[in-house]
Amino acid sequence: MALHRQFSNDGKELIIAIKGKFDFNLVQEFRQAYSDVGDQRPTVFIDLRETEYLDSSALGMLLNMRKSLGKSVRAIHIINCRPEVRSILDISRFDKLFTIE
Amino acid sequence: MLAVHDNSPLAQTVLAQLKLDYPSLKIVNFAPQDVNQLLSEGNVLLVILEYQSTQYEQFKMLVKQHRKAVETDYPSDVLLITDTEAGFVGLLDESEKLFVDGLIWPEPSGLLKTRLAMLSQLQLLRIELAQTRHSLAWHATRIDREHQLVEHIFRNALSRNFLDYNHIRTYLTPVSKFNGDLCLVAPGPIGNVYVFMADFTGHGLAPATGALPLSQAFFAMADRGVSVAEMVTEFNFRLNRLLPDDMFCAGFLLEISANGERVTYWNGGMPPAILFNDKGEVIERLSAQHMALGVLDEDDFDSRVTTFRASHDQHIALYTDGVIELLGHQLEFLGIDSLEQLLRRFPKSDDFQRLVAELEHFRGTQPLHDDLSLAILACQPTGLDDIPVPTEDGAMPFQLLVDLEVEHIRELDPVNHVLTAIGSLPGLRRHRTTLYLLLAEAYNNALEHGLLALDSSLKDSSDGFAEYYQQRSLRLRELSKGKISIAVRFDATSRQLEFTVTDSGKGWAAEDYEQRSNKASHGRGLDLLRQLTTQLRWTQSGRQVSFTYSL
Repeated sequence: MALHRQFSNDGKELIIAIKGKFDFNLVQEFRQAYSDVGDQRPTVFIDLRETEYLDSSALGMLLNMRKSLGKSVRAIHIINCRPEVRSILDISRFDKLFTIE
Repeated sequence: MLAVHDNSPLAQTVLAQLKLDYPSLKIVNFAPQDVNQLLSEGNVLLVILEYQSTQYEQFKMLVKQHRKAVETDYPSDVLLITDTEAGFVGLLDESEKLFVDGLIWPEPSGLLKTRLAMLSQLQLLRIELAQTRHSLAWHATRIDREHQLVEHIFRNALSRNFLDYNHIRTYLTPVSKFNGDLCLVAPGPIGNVYVFMADFTGHGLAPATGALPLSQAFFAMADRGVSVAEMVTEFNFRLNRLLPDDMFCAGFLLEISANGERVTYWNGGMPPAILFNDKGEVIERLSAQHMALGVLDEDDFDSRVTTFRASHDQHIALYTDGVIELLGHQLEFLGIDSLEQLLRRFPKSDDFQRLVAELEHFRGTQPLHDDLSLAILACQPTGLDDIPVPTEDGAMPFQLLVDLEVEHIRELDPVNHVLTAIGSLPGLRRHRTTLYLLLAEAYNNALEHGLLALDSSLKDSSDGFAEYYQQRSLRLRELSKGKISIAVRFDATSRQLEFTVTDSGKGWAAEDYEQRSNKASHGRGLDLLRQLTTQLRWTQSGRQVSFTYSL
């Protein structure tokens, strides 16, 4: 399972974890993962702890998510990045668009 | 056996009578000096000895010697029969108790038989007792040895346990040698730290056995840095298969991020952990929201976690019910309120020893009736994320040239294969995430624009983005001609990698991309190439791209 999606116990957080490779093969699955966020305005956490590889299509997918979710979520956080992944996000200035922890 | 030193007719008559009643009785004539041999044979019941002082004294001395030689305090299995009262009295006076009993000779054969039967019974009992003692001793040794083995295994299994972590204090006290509680700490790969506290039903060796597979799974998954939800799912899966129905394991798994601010936890059947701060204010109880581990099947198991943000003055107290059910010297339970009182009085990390002293004072001399585990984690930056990466030396120069025909392009995942080939070479391992990105961007660019002629502007809308990749897969399936070659050259001296990717397509105008806005959902790949590499250039009308990446 390359993508794991789960709400927290109180339903206030949606955690989407991506394993291994984050690329265009996950396009549909990734869209599906945030298609129903409910009406609680959850905070979305993209957990990249086990993401070893990503390319520009992954960045595109994240931007699409941000655009499509708009105000239906409280915020989007990208969490648990490995250093190399973090530097790719930084180079792409994602820190201006997302909260990166 | 009956040893006789009496040739009188009377003796002969009695013995003949005895022999009739006990056909298996062996009767031998003996001289007192033979006694050692007789006693060593171990089945002497009766010695008939005429009381003549020299022989009697000699016999006694020999029995004494024998007794000393076999190191026993127990009287020899000898019923001594002498022919005078003097000998008998001498026997009774004997403080050393050389013989089990004595008789005066001659003796009515009925009485003699009774004595003989008693003696025989006594001897049987003694043999049985000796065997039982021996077997008990053997089992005790065996259990000792087995405990040693198990202890050894536990020590090894838990040798990685990171209880020395700076920001955790623990007080772990098992009832017996083996702990049915488990308190595990392990660092993750991104500076995060995991803490797992668990309590198996019961205490002692049986529950401790369940701790082995659990701790192995915990450490392996902590190394990989898997999420709390996934870890507990795996724990549950393992325990559900392993444990008998009446045994389960309450567990509290917690992860704290490298900056010490983000806490994620899952509580299955454990008492509520207590979140409090330096000032001794209890902020929250982190209560159980789930069933214990090992109860539910995979399909029913709920791995949902709770997360919260912690500040650096906060602490989390994790404990097993052994702590709140601690029995005080007035036979009252400690209770969760008293534990919170203690935390209010001793909120700081440095107070921990005093807190433990209070707990021990409360208990007094009451024996423990459950394993007891308390751990207090300070929500501090872990300080584990900036461990210097060991520099890999001994880089090896190489060149790799991959010429892909259309069927390879259609059917294989060349980026992946090239990455696998070069990503494990010395010096390159640490860079494989970036190497993947570079290869993927260059290759996908050649494929999608060079061979498949996809239009990137499709990607501007959310639906178009998905549509773009649908078309990619459709056109790729139908691709009938085209070539892509990938060349990678590594100069070990300058530690530079040169990439060249060439396609057989129509080429394209790279400069168009310069104009794209940074927010577009495409063009980002080229931006990344530009920023991560040097000497990026397109040649052959955009059919060939090359760039250099410095390690």
